[in-house]
Amino acid sequence: MNVSKGTPRVEIESTQSGVEAEQRLPRRGLLAAGIGGAAVSLLPFFSGRASATTPPATDESTTTTAPPRRPTADDTALLAAAMQTELTVEGLYRQAIGGVSGWTEQQAAVMTTLRQAHLAYANSLSGLLGKSAPSTRSEELFDEWKSSFSGSTEDVLLTASDLESALVATHLDLLASLQGTNGAALIASIQVAESRHVTALRNLAGVTDEAELLVDEEAESLLGAG
Amino acid sequence: MSNESSTTPLVSASYDRRGLFRIGGITVAAAAFMAACGNPASSAGELGRVGNGEPNPELPEGKVNDGVLLRTSASFETSIADAYQRMVDEGLLAPASSTFPDLGDQTELVASFIDHHRKSAETFNQLALEAGAAEPFTCGNPRLDSAFIDPVFERVTNGAPATDTAKEIAPSDDPTRDMVNLVVTLELLSAATSQALVPQVTQASFRAEAMRLAARSARHGALMSLKINPDQYVTSTDLQNANPAATTTVAPTTTAQDIAQPETGDTTAPAAPPSTEIPLPVAIPGQYGSLAPITYIGGAGDENGVRLKLNFETPSLNSMAYDFTTCE
Repeated sequence: MNVSKGTPRVEIESTQSGVEAEQRLPRRGLLAAGIGGAAVSLLPFFSGRASATTPPATDESTTTTAPPRRPTADDTALLAAAMQTELTVEGLYRQAIGGVSGWTEQQAAVMTTLRQAHLAYANSLSGLLGKSAPSTRSEELFDEWKSSFSGSTEDVLLTASDLESALVATHLDLLASLQGTNGAALIASIQVAESRHVTALRNLAGVTDEAELLVDEEAESLLGAG
Repeated sequence: MSNESSTTPLVSASYDRRGLFRIGGITVAAAAFMAACGNPASSAGELGRVGNGEPNPELPEGKVNDGVLLRTSASFETSIADAYQRMVDEGLLAPASSTFPDLGDQTELVASFIDHHRKSAETFNQLALEAGAAEPFTCGNPRLDSAFIDPVFERVTNGAPATDTAKEIAPSDDPTRDMVNLVVTLELLSAATSQALVPQVTQASFRAEAMRLAARSARHGALMSLKINPDQYVTSTDLQNANPAATTTVAPTTTAQDIAQPETGDTTAPAAPPSTEIPLPVAIPGQYGSLAPITYIGGAGDENGVRLKLNFETPSLNSMAYDFTTCE
């Protein structure tokens, strides 16, 4: 049985330990050759990777000068005026809610929500301005609009919508002048919300004309009005 | 076995002169082989290569500047206008809505929105050219179209075919509801896209013009919200905050889930799972303009009642209309 399988095992052992064994590569030699080859083959990888992590000498992606984030001195004056305006509007809403009778529950809820929103805008601007924030509203602007915030609830709602439209125009003027991006971003988030206030207030007052609801003509800016 | 093996140790054989030559030769050959595999044109700073395949294609560098940002805004506005045009052309706003029976046909109103968004796209493209862009971007945003708007239309009008793991989904149970909700979503997205642009562009004039357009989009969204949900001007949270002492019932903030579910009276039959609730829009969704993702839910529910849900987001790096992005 063993004979028919070919060369006996003892012969194999003899060949491995015989003269032919001297001609094959010894194990240690193979290991040394492998390590040497591997080291040589990895050289390009190491050199390439090292170069890839090196930052470029020039930054070509910057093509424009980045605007400042914090408000500039000119921005501070503009944002302070915006804050005073928001405080004034909050005062006008407060006077209307308390002074005008006949509010429905829904009207009162909307007016209160918008008053709180304007107070929140003033507080946000105050936080951005820090010590430069004014602490009082614009009495001149308040007196100018005070008388308009009276009469029927529908009249007040329409007046409030006109004032909100004026605020949108005011904020657009501010955005055209502000250099610091923090202030501009805050004003933009306020302006978008106040745009919606106009449509909501006019709808609540019973306006159905879509051109009026969508405000084809924005009101005059309040910048410099108080 | 032979005794010769014990008289010729392997250790001494591995360090003879022939063995050393052999090791050195193999090392040099390996080095030569690896060097031959590399690209002779490669220079420092590039990864080494094994093999002789084609070099990696060099992708164009995406630079984000004012021109790219404004081109992207233009592309978003065009996508929105195209979506509205499709709604109008396919008459998707005309059928009566079972969810909003008092809504009426909003085709004329939405058609009027198209003009605003086309003009907005033109304005943004004009600003992009002023900012140094080589050419305007006159088509819709590929990412917004392919990943958001087209899937909504597909799910609403055709449903979804069966797969190996899921049953077929029927077309929408109320296409008009889904389309007007999409209008509100896209108007919120338009306003948010302009708002997000403000701290990114370098010129104050670009910011002001973008926000002038955003004001109109915001009002579109408010008006459409009031058409859908006439009695809800502010969120239920704001309503509660405005009058904490009130004990009145707050209007529901979602549509009825099982409005189309017939009552069979058969209590033994397993009830179909309720479909995903669809939030009702409000005219003033928050105190400030939000840049958070805008959730859209629409279409018919799948076998588990799950409707299509997508989060629309303002442009990011994967949706920019870069200088090398073309309309083809």
